[in-house]
Amino acid sequence: MKISLSLNINGQDMELEIDAKQTLLEVLRNNTKFQSVHRSCEEGECGACTVLLDNEPVNSCLILAASVQGATILTSEGLIKNGKPHPLMKAFTDELGIQCGFCTPGMLMTSYAVVNKSGKKELTDKEIRKSLEGNLCRCTGYINIVKSVKQAQKAKNAGEWW
Amino acid sequence: MKNFIGARSMPDLIYHSPNDLDDLMSLLKNAKQKDGDFKIVAGCTDFIPAVRTGRWAFNDGVNIIDIKKIKALEYIKKEDNMLKIGACTRLTQILESSQVNENAQILAQAAIQMASLQVRNTATIGGNICMSSPAADMAPALLVLGAKVTLKDPKGEREIFLKDFFTGPGQNVLKPDQILTQISFPIMGNDKAAHFLKIGTRTAVIISVVSAAVCLGIKNGVCENPKIALGSVAPTPIRIRKAENFLNHKILDDPTIEQCAKIVFEEVSPITDLRSGEEYRKDMARTLVRRAIVACREKLE
Repeated sequence: MKISLSLNINGQDMELEIDAKQTLLEVLRNNTKFQSVHRSCEEGECGACTVLLDNEPVNSCLILAASVQGATILTSEGLIKNGKPHPLMKAFTDELGIQCGFCTPGMLMTSYAVVNKSGKKELTDKEIRKSLEGNLCRCTGYINIVKSVKQAQKAKNAGEWW
Repeated sequence: MKNFIGARSMPDLIYHSPNDLDDLMSLLKNAKQKDGDFKIVAGCTDFIPAVRTGRWAFNDGVNIIDIKKIKALEYIKKEDNMLKIGACTRLTQILESSQVNENAQILAQAAIQMASLQVRNTATIGGNICMSSPAADMAPALLVLGAKVTLKDPKGEREIFLKDFFTGPGQNVLKPDQILTQISFPIMGNDKAAHFLKIGTRTAVIISVVSAAVCLGIKNGVCENPKIALGSVAPTPIRIRKAENFLNHKILDDPTIEQCAKIVFEEVSPITDLRSGEEYRKDMARTLVRRAIVACREKLE
């Protein structure tokens, strides 16, 4: 069954022709070529496919694209502004929250939502770990990822954020 | 058993997305006469993995009726001393709701331990109940609250107790053209306390090895109207009546609690599967019930 789907992805309105059986992950990767959204377990365990759906992190592999008609999607490509990496991305590279990089786009999107939601409040290690429970990383052991999120929060409180 | 061979592709779908309950009911009426399978879904966080792993197969395609867009099924409200939750309310909405945190904190306690942030943003309470997994974490918490569920089909609606809803692993009393619309339960007074605990093979994003919920009051120094429910120890989430009856009107000292937990140990008959063995589950059922009763006692002191 063919469906025409309108989405706002990374600030850009798009009209897409999709099949009803496609997940949001497949549409983002195959139809619109936002390939930072990684395909991995496809059953909601790993979080590599995390995107923001109307500002909330979700597993794009567990969502039928047809069900998000008119939604706003943000992927990690959308964090880059005028060719400049987002302060959150800088925090991940500065604090070595990345090794192989496969989980990173998902980590970024969850962290972005969590840091945005926290306001001025400093998140504790425990809170950060709890919010990142749905993002698996098999390289870093999470310590550097938690540090990265903390640095990102400092950057946000210092006003370097978008 | 989980299939580790790899993800299967999705079957051909015909997607329906009714905007309100009337639309849905007329769709269900017609769906009955149509050939082929149809499936009612909301969050899809269980539907897609079930298809991907081959637990559900639709070789000739399937009609999907997505009820997520029906705003009339998404609410948390207090009415006549009852808390009423719409079936399409997402887990995040439940654990962030001030109504839930003030009146039924045990639900938030269970919800925060379920799956991950991403899944909680999508998954619904109705979906958790309708999938009827013996390990559904919402179930023990709702069972000790004495919850009722409202079932609706094109002919009308009725309300039944949640304990009568489950009939087996993944099975319930829902007819194919029936949906669950609401979960409701009486608001817990200040003279009562409830506590939910679960154990998994790790601490996050995990299906329970055992889950336990306890709700009780203390009046004149003795325990009053205790309710004990467990998940993952039987074909459905269950109440342990024998242990409840034992505990009723007793002073909640440590030996009594231990004795009650022992009854739980003897009453449950879990299976061995890939998450855990039978013996360990029985042991943990005893431990969790003891800890949950102690936690309730502390809350009431």
